[in-house]
Formats: sequence, structure tokens, C-alpha cells
Amino acid sequence: MYQPIRIKTLACTLAATLLAGCASTPPVKGSDPSDPYENTNRKIYNFNDTIDRKVFTPVARGYVQVTPDPVRAGVTKFFDNVGYLNVITNDFLQGKVTQGASDTGRFLVNSTVGVGGLFDPATKIGMPAHDEDLGQTFGIWGMGEGAYLMVPFLGPSSYRDLPDAATSIALNPMTWLGGVGGIITWPLGALHAVNARANMLAASNIRDQAAVDPYTFVREAYRQQRQYKIYDGNPPMDENEVNGDSGDHHPPAAGAEILKVY
Amino acid sequence: MNGSKTHSLAHPWYSPANCLFRWVRLLLMGVALVTNACMAESSEPAPAASVEKLHAGLLDIMQHGATRNFQARAATIAPVIREVFDFDTISRVVTGRYWSTLSATQKDAFTRVFTRLSIATYTENFKSFGGERFQTRDTVSKGPNRLVATALTSADGTDVTLNYLLSLRDGKWRIVNVIAEGVSDLSLKRAEYTAVISSDGIDALIAKLSAKVASYER
Repeated sequence: MYQPIRIKTLACTLAATLLAGCASTPPVKGSDPSDPYENTNRKIYNFNDTIDRKVFTPVARGYVQVTPDPVRAGVTKFFDNVGYLNVITNDFLQGKVTQGASDTGRFLVNSTVGVGGLFDPATKIGMPAHDEDLGQTFGIWGMGEGAYLMVPFLGPSSYRDLPDAATSIALNPMTWLGGVGGIITWPLGALHAVNARANMLAASNIRDQAAVDPYTFVREAYRQQRQYKIYDGNPPMDENEVNGDSGDHHPPAAGAEILKVY
Repeated sequence: MNGSKTHSLAHPWYSPANCLFRWVRLLLMGVALVTNACMAESSEPAPAASVEKLHAGLLDIMQHGATRNFQARAATIAPVIREVFDFDTISRVVTGRYWSTLSATQKDAFTRVFTRLSIATYTENFKSFGGERFQTRDTVSKGPNRLVATALTSADGTDVTLNYLLSLRDGKWRIVNVIAEGVSDLSLKRAEYTAVISSDGIDALIAKLSAKVASYER
């Protein structure tokens, strides 16, 4: 999920803006039934894209140029580790007890032996990283993805995935440093944003290179990736998926079964 | 000819026993040939072979990325891509419900530009080599189609899952979809292409794809 910025205040403001936006924007008939806010979403996409090209991408490219690969790898590991309580919580919410125990061990080992998460000794001793969040938990509980949402600054999401923004902030120890800690929280938040954007440079290059309609490209890639993650890389062979191809809600052309994700 | 026979007869190792040995060997070779022929007849061509042919071609252009320019790499990979992909089926699927509304000329133009785009995309993206390798995993049946699971493993050990869906056409298994890390390429393209056709029409889509090809070839 593209979440370069996880700062408490900003997120609260955004959530308020978004909810207000949704309340005042009646669903419009778009080309896709699961993207009822397509007109608004496209505007937000263009806004995000402009900011991204003018600010985030140049900053991220500069960051990649001035930092050696191992430093960036350490920064990525640090932020992955500091946000790992959210993964552990969702392991247990999804009933993955063994994985939850392993991830708890991983967090403890990497926070201590791994020098605050800068290194990852846990993987070497058999406690690999997992990728879980509240949106995946809701998916496992049987909730549909709900309307697709393009969130200002944060990127693609959905009604099902958006609440994770709140829990991942609440479960991030950095959020609660407060007081004097605030002095380091903001620069760290900025570093997190820049590093996360740098990690997405390859993906956005692919989008720029391949997409003829970048908005639709991002939406479909996001949805398919979310589905893939919910099923931990093994989406079921659901016969409904034959007709479930989004972007074209008419009877599928012959051979549509080959569109399925395996 | 005659000389060699004389030489053979005059050879000190020539004996009736050796002659028998030659006959046995010939007989065994014959049996082996017949067995091979039977086996080839009973098993259909492997879907994985088409995927591995593509991967071998990609490794080739990756390893020669430093010495061969875009045109040279495209010339290497183009015949492989044309052979292993089923662009007729792919074109039909990615244009969705609009396919049947297209004229024969438009269908042909779309299929041609889509093929060129696929070649250009592979040529552009597989131009450097850092010890990556392709691993073929299992093949499973999906109705009339076959799914070949593979992984692109980089030197540091990270895997990218690449699953290929193949369909049998003219006695050969051809790729109709590539699913990378759970993202179905065809599904993505179909969503995009139908959105463009719906708002701007097929000719605009063909023009956009041609522009993409041109930007790669530049």
C-alpha cells in the first residue's frame, strides 16, 4: 500500500477532508461499478500526481543519489520494524496464531539485537517478515472491498482499506513519543515519507512506461495486489472471477477465463 | 569408399565377434529410436517449454544488454515473442466487448501494434544482468489451459513470482496471460484499454500504443 506519510495530525485532517468529500459528492455513474467516485477520484489522482512529480519524485531521486544502498535498506527495515505492531495485531485478528507468535519474536529480536530494527537478524533465525494490515483482516472476515478511493497524498485505497491508516498510526510507537519526542518525530516522519517514495520509484517508472490510462492502471494494479495479499499469494480459483473483471462490466468476451489471477 | 572397406576388413580388430557386436548395437539404436518416437507421440508438447524458450531469450538479451543496442536486442527477442505468445487471443481479450465492433482493418492494426508493444516492452525492460535466474516450477491444468508457475530470482535471493497461462493452438502451447506477483497483465490491460476505447475510441488507443512503441524505439 502506498502510504508515504503516516503522521497523526495530517491523517486526521485528511480523514476529515475525505469524509466531508464523500458526504458532499453523490456517487456518479462511472465506467466501473466498484469505483462510484471515479470523477472525484480522478481529480484527486491528478492532484496527487502533480504534487508527486513536482515534489516527492525529485526529492526521492535526490535521496537515492546521496544515500548508499545499505543505508536505505537499513532505513526501510527500521520503519518496517517500527510499524510491525500493526502486523502482529492483524496476525492475531486473522487467527494466525503461530504467525503472530513468530512475528512477536521477530519484533523483539529486531528491536534489540537488530539495533532498533536497522538490521534483520530475525529472518536469519527463521522468523520471516509478513505483510498484514487491517484491510486484509476485514477481507478475511468476509467484508467486500467497498468503493475504491483515491486519498489525497496517500494514494489508492478503499472503504475496506482506509481504516488501516488509523490503526497503523495508533500502533506506531513513534506516534506516542510526544513532547520532546516530537522534535524527532517530524524529521523521522519526513524521512519515512521520502524513503517510502524512493522504494516506489521502480513501480512508478513501470506505470509511467506502461500505462495508457494511468488512473485505471493504478486502480487495477492496486485491487489485484490487495486481493493477492488477502490470500497470502494464493487467491482462490473463484468461478465468479470469470465475470468479475472490472473495467468492463458487460458479458465477458470469449476466453475471459484467462484474465483470472492465479 | 572401396578403400575404407578394405581398410576395415584388414583391421586387426576385425572378427566375427566384433561384427555381432555391431549388429547388436545397431539393433539397440533402432529400439531406442522407436521408443523415442513413441514417447514423443504419446506426450503433448510441454507448456513449460514455451515459457522456458521465452526465459532463455530474455536471459540472452539481459546478458548482452551492455553490448547490444535496443534494435539488436529487439531483433533477438522478437521472433521468440512472436512464437510463444498467442497475440490473436490476447488482442481479442484486452479489447473486451469492443472487439466484435472493430473492422477487420482495425483488428489487424490493433494486433500488430500490440505485438510490437510487447516486443518493445520486453526489449526495454530486460537489458541488464545481475545474476538473475528463471526457475520453472510446476504446471497445472486450468480447464483447457495450463498454468506454468515460475520465479525470477535475483542474485540476493528475492523472488518475483511469474505465472504464465498458456493455451493450445495449432498444436503448440502459447502464452495468453502473465501474472506477476498476483497482478494479471491481461486484466490490467483490458481495464485500461476498454476505458480508453470507451472514452476516445479504438483509433485513439492504437495511436497511443504506437506512440508508446515509438518512445521505446527512440
